[in-house]
Formats: sequence, C-alpha cells, structure tokens
Amino acid sequence: MPILEARSLSKTFRRPDKASGFKGAVKHLAQRKYKNYTAVDGIDLSIEAGESVAYVGPNGAGKSTTVKLLTGILKPSEGTVRVMGRDPHVERIANAHDIGVLFGQRTQLWWDLPVEESLKLLKHMYGVSDADYKRRLAMFDDLLDLGEFMPALARTLSLGQRMRADLACALIHDPKMVYLDEPTIGLDISVKDRLRAFLRELVDNGTTLLLTSHDLADIEEVCERIVVIDKGTIAYDGPITQLKAHYITTKAVNLYLEGPADVPALAEKFPDYAWAAGEAPSEVTVTYETSRFSTAGVLGSLTAQLAPRDLSLSEPSIEDVIRRLYAGELTK
Amino acid sequence: MVRDKSLTARHVGGVYWRALVAQIRAITEYPADFWVMASAGAMWNVLQFAFITVLFAAVPDVAGWRYHEMLMLSGLFTVASGSTALLVDGVWSTGQMVLKGEIDYRMTRPAPVVVQVATTHIGMQGFGESGIGLLMFAYGWIGAGLSLAALPIGLLGLVCAIVIECALITVFCAVNFWIKGPMSNFAFVLVDLQSNAMVLPLGLFPIGVRIVTLFVIPVAFVNFVPVAVLTGHLSAWWLVGTPLAALAAVLAAVGVFRLGLRSYDSAGH
Repeated sequence: MPILEARSLSKTFRRPDKASGFKGAVKHLAQRKYKNYTAVDGIDLSIEAGESVAYVGPNGAGKSTTVKLLTGILKPSEGTVRVMGRDPHVERIANAHDIGVLFGQRTQLWWDLPVEESLKLLKHMYGVSDADYKRRLAMFDDLLDLGEFMPALARTLSLGQRMRADLACALIHDPKMVYLDEPTIGLDISVKDRLRAFLRELVDNGTTLLLTSHDLADIEEVCERIVVIDKGTIAYDGPITQLKAHYITTKAVNLYLEGPADVPALAEKFPDYAWAAGEAPSEVTVTYETSRFSTAGVLGSLTAQLAPRDLSLSEPSIEDVIRRLYAGELTK
Repeated sequence: MVRDKSLTARHVGGVYWRALVAQIRAITEYPADFWVMASAGAMWNVLQFAFITVLFAAVPDVAGWRYHEMLMLSGLFTVASGSTALLVDGVWSTGQMVLKGEIDYRMTRPAPVVVQVATTHIGMQGFGESGIGLLMFAYGWIGAGLSLAALPIGLLGLVCAIVIECALITVFCAVNFWIKGPMSNFAFVLVDLQSNAMVLPLGLFPIGVRIVTLFVIPVAFVNFVPVAVLTGHLSAWWLVGTPLAALAAVLAAVGVFRLGLRSYDSAGH
C-alpha cells in the first residue's frame, strides 16, 4: 500500500478579476467579478514508503500548491489525498504526527527565541520523549552542526543556519513522510552540500521524501524518482535514470585541433555525426547518437584521423532535459 | 516513538502554557520595550481612573450607580481587556498571517491552530493595563463596602470576564479569514465600543442594545452583570449566565476559527 496516494487531485482558486488602477478598483467594488485559476489539475500521484521523489516544475507550475494539498494545509477542490490512509485535511492532528514539512521560503522558528527553545516547544507539541529528543538532537548536531547556534535567537541566524535549524524542526519527531519545499534556496555551495548529505542519510534510513527544488543538483543527488509538473498537470513521472536514458540520446565530443577547424569539410568526411564550430577557431563540437555509435568507437576514429591537441566529452544534463520538458519539446 | 495521536485538554493546555512562557522569556530580550509598553498601558487607564473620579466629584451617581461601583465596572473591563493582550494577543495578527500564508506551518503541527496563533506574541501593555484595572476593581470593591464573603463571586466574575473577552476578540479577529486585510478592524471596533459604552450602566441604553449585549454578543457578561450582581443592582440568578456566556463565547471562538481554516487558501499559488 502506498504511503501517499493522490487521485484526480485538483485545486482551483478564485481570483478577483479587476482592471488595473484606481478606476478598476472602484469598479470592482460595485461590480465584483472573479476568475477561477486552476493551480493543480487532476494529478495522480502514488508514493511508496522509503521512496525519494523529486517534484519539479517551472515557477507557477503548481508545486507548492500540491505540497499544501498533500500536507493538509489546503482542501482539494476535487479529488482525494490519502497519507498513510488518512485524509490530511480532515485528520489534521493525526497526520501531523507522521509528517515533517519544510518551506524554504519561510521559517517555523519562534523569531525572538533561541533555536533550542523552538525545538523544545516542538518536542512538547509532538510528544517526543526526552530520550528520543536527545538522540535526535545528537544526530542533527552531528550532521548539521546545530550545536554552534542552538543558543542563538532565530532572528540572528544566517540563512544557512536558519535552514539547518528549520530542517531539525521538521524532523524532530522522526516523521515517516517528509515534504521539503525548496530546502536549499539561497544557500551557498558548502551548506547545500551539507544539506544534501543529510537528506541522503535520511533517505538511506528509510524516510519517505518528497522534494521540490529548482536546483537540479539537489534532485540528482538525493532522489531516485522524478515527477515533472507543468501548468498543474504531470508532464513526466518515473525514475531519474529512465528519464536520462529515454531523453538523453546523444553525446558530444569537443575537439581542440592544432589548426583552424574546417567544419563543412569535417561534416563531409564524417557524415554520420553532427558538426558545429566551437568558440575558438580551432574548436569544434561533434554530436553523435548513443544508440548507433559507441563512445570508444567515436573517440577512436576521431583521434586517429584528426589527431586533436585535446578533447572533452559531454552529455546533456538532467537540467537540459527538464528545460526541454518545460518548453514542450519533449513528450511523456 | 509511541505517541497519542489525539488531542487531550492536558496536551493543549501544555502547548499553550509552554508557548506563553517562552514568549515571556522572549520579552526579557527587550526590557526597555517592556517598561515603555507596560507604562503606556497603565497610563491610559490611570486617565480613565482620573476621569471617573473627576466626574463623580460633580455628580452623585450615574443611573443609580455610585463612584465605587463605576470604578468596579471600569476596572473589571480593564482587567479583561488587558488580559487579552497577555493571553491571546497573537489573534490580532490573524489577518496578517492569513495574507502572508503564515498559518501553513501551524496547520502541520499536532496542536490547535487557534492556540498556536494566540500565543504568537504577548502585548506588553497588558501588564500595565491589567495592573491598573485590578487596582480600580479592588479600590471600588473596598469603597463599595463589599465583604470578603463575596470574593468567590468576584473571582468567578473575573475569570469569566477574561475568558469571554479573549474568546470574543478571537471571534472578531477570525473574521479576517474571509475579509482579507492585515488589520483586525472588527475586533478594534468591539474593544472601542466596550471601552466607551460598556463601562457605563446598561440601564442607560435602549432595550435593543441591552438584548444584543446580553444575548447576541455577550459583552455585558464581561463586566456589567458580575458587578451588578456584586453590588445588588441585579439578582444573584444573573450570575448563572456568566459561565454560560463564557462557554458559549469559547465554543463560538473555536467554531469560527475552524470554519476559517476550512476557507484558508494560503499564499503564493
């Protein structure tokens, strides 16, 4: 049985439909008009216990709204959500014990209290025993270096410290299902690395994770499955490896020749590959289909016949694939 | 971890109390703010005290109510009003929280959202306000010649006054779930009307106002009914209505807040 199951999940918001400016505002007072805006449109999503799922999409695609529906913050306009068999909106309290939530754009720390006070308040709220609390804190300290800023007031923390503290808040009660909405937003590389390592550890320990992020490195390092959402509907749902295998069908070799590259001549000589001039006159990029040619074979023939000064191999990143998915160039 | 996944009164009370104590600890971060705000709360009500004293130097009574009785009336309302700042001041931010989507996290925690919102902060003016209110009430009590035997009634009235006032403010602030705006205008109007009208004897007002303040928005049970019973202006039977009004107000507050949460649509879709 899946730990999370959403069926035909939709959320429609009503927005005022008024003209801009003072005149529009006055007119709207007398003649109220509204437009319906569908943020999530009939999503089906099923997550098994222990899965780590990336939920990605362009701005306004419906990611955060989906997370709010799945966590019980919003009531669906249509469709159903079940988290561990419960409706998260109706059985909010019972659901809250089993889920952990982090919204990267906001903090759940008490602003004028030391971090440790916020954690203690949450400990009591979730009914965490003293022994479990100490064990969890020791783990967070080990992986997130919480100790250094535990006595600090929340309002004095740096963004990276705040995010680490918020992560501890979201996980203090050892939730089975964790939703992280942009957990690395605005963080520097070193803090990102530390957070990713922590999330990998979390997943390895069996926690189910749903992660939304615009940073695709988060996704590649932490998740096994990716769900791409666009305009409120799912554009792709499957393993990241499959997404790569399915959509990354070409590789490229960048050659740095001894002299200027004659691209038309090269294209005539090697008609099976696609040729493009590089940034420098002596640089040229050769693209080939991985289903037809082996990388070893391509490199062997190119180095034997062109004797390049140097070369490098590149393949489209997951980022390129997702960008093309967003742009509608690729289909499911 | 084995956890009870239902809410118990003990758990809710514990969450409320700990959050409140944590806020009091936070206040110690701003000692200057504390003294300025507490003094401001006290000053305003010292003026009210002075106004009643000056008024009664010129007139012997107002609608049959004498100086010390009027002090009790005003004092009890001031204590109740000041207590809302100490006990549920966070509800004044309901509108802001709704607009900014700050209810989100509170909905993912195993505690009533209304309790979490109410304990978001403490209004430090409440210390001064409640202090002066208690002083007025005690001074009026002694001056009116009430004995210590009436103390249980006084305490019941005091507790119910605080509960009713906190609950009514919560109801009026929860209106912001539907009427979007950062300011709790309805609650402001309620407190303003109370501080101007409900510190006067109810007999001064037309029957319609009396019915509304007794049975629709039971603000009369905050100060008028308990003080009128204590001073013999109303029969003791009226006192039964005070805890009933408190219960009704609390149920209304919880119910309206729950309805509000159902229509909450967060921010940033």
